[in-house]
Amino acid sequence: MKVLRVMLVLLMICALPLAASAQKAKTIDELAKMYDSSRCKSCHSEIYAAWEKSHHARPLMGVKGGLMLTPLATKGATAFSPDDPKKTTIKNFPCFKCHLPQAVTSAEDSVAVELTEALLAKDSAKVAKLQITCVVCHNSKSIIHKRELGEPENGVLYSTKAVDAHPDGTFKKVKKSAIMQDSVFCGQCHGLGPNLEFDQAFQCANLYGSYLHSYVSSGGTKACQECHMPKVNGKADHLIAPNFNDDKGTSGLLAKAINLDVQTIGYEWLRKAATYVPKIVVETKITTAAGHRIPDG
Amino acid sequence: MVVTAKSLDGKEIGKVEKHYHPQATNCRDTKMKYGAQWKVANLRDTSLQPNKTKAETIEFDLPAGVRAADVTVELIYEDVNPDNKYPIHSITKRVSLDK
Repeated sequence: MKVLRVMLVLLMICALPLAASAQKAKTIDELAKMYDSSRCKSCHSEIYAAWEKSHHARPLMGVKGGLMLTPLATKGATAFSPDDPKKTTIKNFPCFKCHLPQAVTSAEDSVAVELTEALLAKDSAKVAKLQITCVVCHNSKSIIHKRELGEPENGVLYSTKAVDAHPDGTFKKVKKSAIMQDSVFCGQCHGLGPNLEFDQAFQCANLYGSYLHSYVSSGGTKACQECHMPKVNGKADHLIAPNFNDDKGTSGLLAKAINLDVQTIGYEWLRKAATYVPKIVVETKITTAAGHRIPDG
Repeated sequence: MVVTAKSLDGKEIGKVEKHYHPQATNCRDTKMKYGAQWKVANLRDTSLQPNKTKAETIEFDLPAGVRAADVTVELIYEDVNPDNKYPIHSITKRVSLDK
């Protein structure tokens, strides 16, 4: 019996690292599969179709087919860039904090190596596999009061409404998220200012900081979701506009949010006696209905 | 924002550009940086702010003999680089010195 117990303990000690490492993805395909949300499409087709066009569906691609993380993969281009692509680690991509949060929690350094090589090879198809999927927002990022509410549960999605029986093989239940309709939910990634928690500080989006310190402080009461996820056919628009790949749509959204007033006068200015200067004066006033600075970043 | 004044025969009298955006450095030198991986903090911010009006007064002196001009104000959003433009508004007004 004693021998059995010792063997069991030894087996557990050996098995623990394996179990821990088994939870992390070693390749881009494994990470994409781990957070794959493609099956959501079968029941939530409108939401899924909107999301597919969104920047959340291509968080490492940038605008119009760009591969915005390429400098981080290129030796000497940034303070984060690895000297040797083969030695890249997750820490070489601080952008993962928001652009691919699942990489921070669920990926081995080998994923960073593979991404670096894909970026250097301009392998857009491979980079495009890494997405902010349904699971990222509706599970990983859905709880911010973890000391009170605990970590997001496995097999549970979080949304604006609870659903007791969710017909999915993995996520069988939907719980109500305390924050999904609040700006702070978006603020988890859309920025307060400089990211000072890293050993090399950097600054990306400031939108949430602008929202808190300029919009709310000037009496603004709307949440991000009210403008960026309006109801379409009764469902929140998961395009989460703007979609900068859509020129016309982006211009339209900006025109809706920003007003330009132009007034002009023409007269002859009397600079000094008998010396008139013909002059036109243009008065412009720009106002914005946005809940944050424009532009940001 | 680009404000252009042209005489009625199409000749440009003047052009003024105003740029509204946060401007950041790496805090190690005074060169402005684009790109999150190089920026550290905003040094100056001329962006459009919520619930605040951005007002400008732009003056053009007309050349001798010119008594009217077409003024066009274009508001354009540039993303990633200045060549990637999203037009927002374009307003043209004819201004005359004659009553």
